[in-house]
Amino acid sequence: MTIEEKIELLAETMDIEESELQADTALADLDCWDSMTKLSVIVMFDDEFGKKITSTDIKEFVTVNDILNKME
Amino acid sequence: MFNMVDLTDKKILITGASSGMGAETARLCSKLGAKIVMAARREEKLIEVEKTLEGSGHKYYVFDLSNVEQIEHFIKQIVSECGALDGFVHSAGIGSTRPLKLLKPNVLKAVMDVNYFSFVEIIRSITKRNCYNSGLSIVGISSIASQQGNQTKTAYSASKAAMDATVRCLAKELHRNKIRVNTVNPALINTDIYQEFLDNSGDSEDAKIIMSRQYMGLGEPIDVSNMIAYLLSDAAKFITGSNIVLDGGRLSS
Repeated sequence: MTIEEKIELLAETMDIEESELQADTALADLDCWDSMTKLSVIVMFDDEFGKKITSTDIKEFVTVNDILNKME
Repeated sequence: MFNMVDLTDKKILITGASSGMGAETARLCSKLGAKIVMAARREEKLIEVEKTLEGSGHKYYVFDLSNVEQIEHFIKQIVSECGALDGFVHSAGIGSTRPLKLLKPNVLKAVMDVNYFSFVEIIRSITKRNCYNSGLSIVGISSIASQQGNQTKTAYSASKAAMDATVRCLAKELHRNKIRVNTVNPALINTDIYQEFLDNSGDSEDAKIIMSRQYMGLGEPIDVSNMIAYLLSDAAKFITGSNIVLDGGRLSS
């Protein structure tokens, strides 16, 4: 999956514009980064990558890039 | 000594018997004298549970309830090998947590297949002539989620509400055949589904509020199994079409 495809998928999951997702964007600065969005990211990893991630993994994500790196 | 909840020689089919409330119910019913027929996906877990059962004459079958179309044949096999049934406990269940935008039809169907469609299909199959003994008692493990709404729990809550509605209908339809049909509705119980809840949202404000309302604390599988055993017994012969709440005080607080 290319970086562009990952960002497209992540934007769809988080329900925001792709332009708001830069690699160095801090997740804490995104208004949408709430419990529902975090859960959506957990489900997206399961559906798209067959990866079970937990709320502990979510806490370790600081920037958008941290999520992108795990999307494989 | 008199035992009000005597299950001596009753043959009881339990789905989802490899863990949690299903396994606990299998153990308890075996202590009360029942012959247990366990069904679940994971053979190694079934073997472990079987070792913990009291008495003899128990049996297990490896079966995935997602195969709803195969259930009728599966029940025929069980009845031909084990004889007619006196009880059925539907403990198999998937705990789905998904926001609406990720709740596609295939996900909804997967939850309904295991939690609900298989419940009805097993009832349809075991209530045929010669497949059950008079006094058959059916117990579905539902949830208080059938009565409470929560974000991301659409599929799970709907599947449990469907079970509750079904037992009200089938209780009336089947009472002439001396068959009783009920659900039990636990709140948070210490099982795999609870672990999933902790992994996904254990430290959220929502989770803290839920636990504070369930003021008797986290339930244990035996708290649910005790009620199931009672419903399976003849002591509960006047109870049918009910959804019995086991919630540590949660719905009333």
